[in-house]
Amino acid sequence: MANFYTSYYPNYFSVEDILASQDRVPCKFEVTVKGLGYLDASSGNEDILPGSKIELPCWMARPLCSSKRLPIVSAQLPVNYRERYREILSADACVVDLQKLGPHFYELGLHLLPITSAPDRPRLAALLTQVLRDRLRPIMDDAQHCSADETSQKIAKLDRLEIRLFRGGQESVRDRERWLDRTAHLLSMAPLLAASNARHKRKRQDS
Amino acid sequence: MEAVEEEFLAEREHVQIIPNFSHDKLYLIAGDVGPFVAGIPCSVPLWLAVNLRQRGKCRLLPPAWMEAEALAAKKEEEMQTKVFTKMGSENYMAVAQLLLTTAPHDVPNAHLVRTLIKDIWDLRIAKLRSSVAEFIKQSGRHARLHHLTPMELHSVRPILPSALDQLLRLGAAASGAHNVSLNDSSMA
Repeated sequence: MANFYTSYYPNYFSVEDILASQDRVPCKFEVTVKGLGYLDASSGNEDILPGSKIELPCWMARPLCSSKRLPIVSAQLPVNYRERYREILSADACVVDLQKLGPHFYELGLHLLPITSAPDRPRLAALLTQVLRDRLRPIMDDAQHCSADETSQKIAKLDRLEIRLFRGGQESVRDRERWLDRTAHLLSMAPLLAASNARHKRKRQDS
Repeated sequence: MEAVEEEFLAEREHVQIIPNFSHDKLYLIAGDVGPFVAGIPCSVPLWLAVNLRQRGKCRLLPPAWMEAEALAAKKEEEMQTKVFTKMGSENYMAVAQLLLTTAPHDVPNAHLVRTLIKDIWDLRIAKLRSSVAEFIKQSGRHARLHHLTPMELHSVRPILPSALDQLLRLGAAASGAHNVSLNDSSMA
């Protein structure tokens, strides 16, 4: 139960954070880069020429486009964060499949803020907050009411961050149900241990 | 906090029992209990009452708020108002649950009482859910709810605080972005 109470903050070892910053960002090279032509296999050149467009992971695009001297690349927002999708999200955020758009929609959005153009930045940030706020109500209601079989269907359209919240909500419901059944005091085998026991049993039967 | 911990805290509440044995005063850390005289009601902590009842040494007297009429009135009151009403006990869920499971025969109309408690709980949870949704939608900073009991708080515990944490995090990024853009424009 303990890990449901810890909130997530971006930190170096957070797996969610690493996965989120892995997503690709379309970039346009501004300068010639010697010997790295293999990154863009279709061009067939040995060097990357200025103006060629390559998708780079977010963690790489950020330092390259924000370097103090001449920026090496100019990054653009991924298509999911552009005007068209923003309109869809502000129309009704609840029906959007964030699993498909993300699945780290919020995390990546935070990472994209520094490479967004300055006038657009507050709008993108406000959008992230608004989307989560709009989607919270159904998430909370589902977490409290859906049975174990419905879970996978309910979380199919949720972002990773939302799934974490959902699991936390479900855990408290399960806990109360166990208490009402008077089974909360029963100790059960840890799932990992049960799995390893089953494996040992199978081995013994095989031999 | 888990439901069992809430129950543990609720067990300190006092209830009335009618012992069928006589004994001197018990000196416990949490306070003195007794003396017990057979047939004379006395007030003991809930945990002791449950223990004595399980050993068949007493009969439980359910608290006044746990009578069917009182609960029906409470339910009516809860339905009429939009805010939370004051419950007879802070830990009504835990106390009712313990009394009804250990000694269903000591509670008159146990079935009705159980249903009424569940109804009241559902009403209050529905209220809590709609006010939480309203709170998030209006992006409020703080809210005050009177007469909310610990077990009801438990139902929103991990999800509401972490959801607010995440909103705060995104909101901090938003205000940060705003400041940066102001600085940029002033430099330009």
